[in-house]
Amino acid sequence: MTSLTLTVAASTHNAKKIYGKDDSVVYALNDVSVDFYSGQFTAIMGPSGSGKSTLMHCIAGLDELTEGSAIIDGEDLSKMSDKDLTELRREKIGFIFQSFNLVPTLTADENIRLPLLLGNNKGNEEWIQRVINTVHLQDRLSHRPSELSGGQQQRVAVARALASEPRIIFADEPTGNLDSTTGGEILSFMRMAVDELKQTIVMVTHDPVAAAYADRIVFLADGKVAGEMLEPTAEKVLDRMKSLGN
Amino acid sequence: MFRIALKGILGRKARLVLTSLAVILGTAFLSGTSIFSATLTRTFDNLFSDVFQNVDAYVRSSQVIEADFGQEERQRIPVSLVDIVKTVPGVSDAAPDIQAFARIIGSDGKPLGADGNGPPTFGGVYTKYKGALWTIKQGHAPMNAGEVAIDEASVKAGKLTLNKKVKVVAQTGSREFTLVGIASYGNVRSPGGATFALFDPTTAQEFLAKPGFVDDILVTGDGSLSETALAAAINKAITKEIATKPVLKGVKTETLTGAQITQETQDQIGSALSFFGILLSVFSYIALGVGCFVIYNVFSISAAQRQRENALLRAIGASKKQISRAMLIEATIIGLFGSLVGLVGGIGLSKALSGLLRALSIDIPSGDLVITRSTVQQTLIAGLVVTLVSAWFPARRAGRVPPLAAMRETAIEIIASGKKRTIGGLVTIAAGVAVVVAVIAGAETTWLGIGILLVFIGTIILGPVIARPVALFLGRPAARFRGITGSMARQNSARNPKRTARTASPVLIGVALVTAVTALAASIKGQIDDVFTQQFKGDYAVSTNNRGFGGLSPSLALDISKLPEVAKATGIGLVTAKLDDKGQYITTISPESINGVWNIGLINAQYSDLATNSIFVSQKKAVKIGVAKGSIMKILFADGMTRKLTVSGLYVHNEIGDYIISKSLLADTTVVSFDRGVYIVTKQGVSSTVARAALTKAVTKYGQGDLLSKREYINKRSGNVNQLLGLIYGLLFLSVIIAVVGIIITLLLSVFERQRELGLLRAVGMTRSQVRTTVRWESVITSLLGAVIGIVLGIGLGWVIVFALRDQGLRNFALPIGSTIFIVFASFIVGVLAAIYPAWRATKVDILSALNTN
Ligand SMILES: Nc1ncnc2c1ncn2[C@@H]1O[C@H](COP(=O)(O)OP(=O)(O)O)[C@@H](O)[C@H]1O
Ligand SMILES: [Mg+2]
Repeated sequence: MTSLTLTVAASTHNAKKIYGKDDSVVYALNDVSVDFYSGQFTAIMGPSGSGKSTLMHCIAGLDELTEGSAIIDGEDLSKMSDKDLTELRREKIGFIFQSFNLVPTLTADENIRLPLLLGNNKGNEEWIQRVINTVHLQDRLSHRPSELSGGQQQRVAVARALASEPRIIFADEPTGNLDSTTGGEILSFMRMAVDELKQTIVMVTHDPVAAAYADRIVFLADGKVAGEMLEPTAEKVLDRMKSLGN
Repeated sequence: MFRIALKGILGRKARLVLTSLAVILGTAFLSGTSIFSATLTRTFDNLFSDVFQNVDAYVRSSQVIEADFGQEERQRIPVSLVDIVKTVPGVSDAAPDIQAFARIIGSDGKPLGADGNGPPTFGGVYTKYKGALWTIKQGHAPMNAGEVAIDEASVKAGKLTLNKKVKVVAQTGSREFTLVGIASYGNVRSPGGATFALFDPTTAQEFLAKPGFVDDILVTGDGSLSETALAAAINKAITKEIATKPVLKGVKTETLTGAQITQETQDQIGSALSFFGILLSVFSYIALGVGCFVIYNVFSISAAQRQRENALLRAIGASKKQISRAMLIEATIIGLFGSLVGLVGGIGLSKALSGLLRALSIDIPSGDLVITRSTVQQTLIAGLVVTLVSAWFPARRAGRVPPLAAMRETAIEIIASGKKRTIGGLVTIAAGVAVVVAVIAGAETTWLGIGILLVFIGTIILGPVIARPVALFLGRPAARFRGITGSMARQNSARNPKRTARTASPVLIGVALVTAVTALAASIKGQIDDVFTQQFKGDYAVSTNNRGFGGLSPSLALDISKLPEVAKATGIGLVTAKLDDKGQYITTISPESINGVWNIGLINAQYSDLATNSIFVSQKKAVKIGVAKGSIMKILFADGMTRKLTVSGLYVHNEIGDYIISKSLLADTTVVSFDRGVYIVTKQGVSSTVARAALTKAVTKYGQGDLLSKREYINKRSGNVNQLLGLIYGLLFLSVIIAVVGIIITLLLSVFERQRELGLLRAVGMTRSQVRTTVRWESVITSLLGAVIGIVLGIGLGWVIVFALRDQGLRNFALPIGSTIFIVFASFIVGVLAAIYPAWRATKVDILSALNTN
């Protein structure tokens, strides 16, 4: 994986996100320019309140930047209507949230195919089966979320994020609600998705162990990029985090 | 706990508004209909206390025959008594009075006033009398047989001009008069919307009643005697006069005080109106009952949504009672607030009701709104009670929430054991069906109501159990044709069966009632159609709506029969008489002309068997009262004479009445008789255009009655059913509105509850329009759920009612397929409409805050 072959899947340029007015303005993002590369597993790290979620939401078309631009697959999100953004999220982006990832009335199978179903799109059945096999959900497909464990639910979420073969997958603290064993399992699946299925993942986390699964880490502090790290290990990350004042 | 309750209310304004809405609507209907009835009664009361304002005594015949529906037939008294009354000490003035039917024909040839249901069209006397309320504003008083004075409003409405000719129709026929005076009544242009044609006393007697006779005498005292003493004195003088004058033999009178006649008239109107008032309040209580479901639902949902909060309160030490009480306090506040707003809303609604009735051409006098204390009490108490009762179970359940639930993820309604519910529901339904079957097998008909009620209650108990499978079934097409959105709508409508059932219940009740009423109406219409096709053998009919008061002049039938285009014409009328000591309507026919025009299905008899000393009795009635051909019956007419009539024939088709006499029987009596219809057979070879033109001319001369072809006539008869149907639909509409509001509220609460889910769906790519589709289909499925079960119940209910009415001659149950399909379609539309606002709210869910709430 040399930098020569890397293509940009998503990026921000001079991104600013400002909350509040006058005296009480908060710069959740303060001039952030960052690229996320295809085929890589990138982690975004930083202390609580440093703007990780905000950054992710703005690149994923869930929120709007106050200034600057966010680009996915060459398209500038700021110029898109709500309808186009919805379509973009459905077709080019996969999501894994910390909790409440699944629609309770739908089966695991329906939840996995949800973005495809919403787009009236059959999808690539061979691919979907491969994804389901990768996360070991073959015999849980007809279950509803309430009949699944927390780890199984997150596996369904991972499968859903992968099902539509998106350009990029965003995960916000995907293991935050899980115990470390189950969390490790989910992270391995995500790793596998990148290595074997050639997917692109951007994951927000504040857990050094989780971040160690990534190829590259982008550090944020006070709404600014505070450096990055390639081929991280948990210890290296921990050290770096300490210096960021977590 | 009060503070917590208050915070509970204020903290969730949306929920407060939604819960109150159900209370507001329910109580608004109650107070609206109550204000409306009170206003109507007061308006009429005022009208009559004005009429008798200067009347201290009132003399009339004491011979009266009362029939059903408060109709009465009173004998007239000789006008010569007026002079006797005037000589009584204490009497200042007395005047003859006639209240008879008279219809003024406007300058465009059209009669004034509504035919049938509107305010009456009166003919009366204008004399110089101290107590008179009529004054001539323009022109002069009518003084001879060619003159008439007319009330100001009618002059205006008919575009009549002073000193020009005007046609007036009365019982004796139609006549032209010169309009010599424009009268005004007190300071009102026309009392209560009625029309008045006033004549001098002699003309009035001869044209409106019978020469030498009047209806009553109005007396004004000189103030020296109390009303009671005055009435007694007058009575004494009249009794003495009758005893000494052989001409007056058989005349019987009574003298009422002014207060008595005012009261009596008010009571008569009051009892006529009270039926209407009862009808209105029945429907508003139905609406309020339907509202109960909505209130209950809102409290249940909010209890479920606040489960964590309540569990937390329990965990930190609040008792079960405190939790329940907080919710009941909340309910009390909402109940009071909602009822107060509802009371105010009722004022607007009572105005809307007047409008609705006017649209149905039931004209009513207008007056200031009357808000009685009982309206206020009834509204507030009903609103409060309904709210508290509806909140009771949810409040108790809220108290029972385990403290542990605070740690649970989402709101889950505690679901009572489905088995108990299934058994309870089925047993109740079975009991209800058993009662209905017992009635069909011959038990007392009054049990039907209980049976039906049991079936309804059972269905509602069973609701949550059947809601899920039925909703899933009904949602199939949505899932099939609407892809994932339809499929999610289907799942959503089934995910909380209790809630869905409670939401669908008001629709169920509304639809069941509408279906039953429609089926009943269709059955009645079918019956009318059959009956009249079978019995009416003519080509045309002249019909009038004036029930009880006035009708077609008997000479109309004679005039028509003389037309060269007409082969035969016969009039059929009604008269009130006492038969076997019971007031009855007796049908009057002309035996010489009815044959071949109207077929009553005589059994071994002919029309010619009906002589002046005989009577026909319907076979059914004959069996019931135990008479046969040859039996003698005693009949008392309003002239006070009892006659013996021989039953000379029985007949099958009793639609025109159970007793028939010949008109010649009444020819030489003072008994008033009008024709209710004239039935005509045209000559062969006369084209319908020619016939119609000739008949129209003849009918127009009388200025009354509608000329109808056979088909039109039959349609008009069943059209009366439509009018009633329209009124009932209008009243049921109140319940339908509440049902719709119920769906809106539940959907809104569900949308609030599913914010996170909606946020997630939007994040992974659900478009706004897909969100709307999901909410819309959920709404449609819920509405259809109520409609489908409602239709099933409604058809059953309709059938049972038709069965119960079989004694009234209703023979066949007709299932209105078109209307049933329409109801299903309408429920679909209701679902779509109810979803508009909640669906819009659902699209406004902020994705990020939905995802961030934990
Ligand atoms: N809706 C909001 N309104 C105001 N401030 C916000 C809002 N969302 C986030 N912030 C602020 O922006 C900053 C970055 O937040 P966030 O991106 O959630 O941080 P992280 O995910 O790194 O913990 C924080 O200071 C937070 O308080
Ligand atoms: Mg965050």
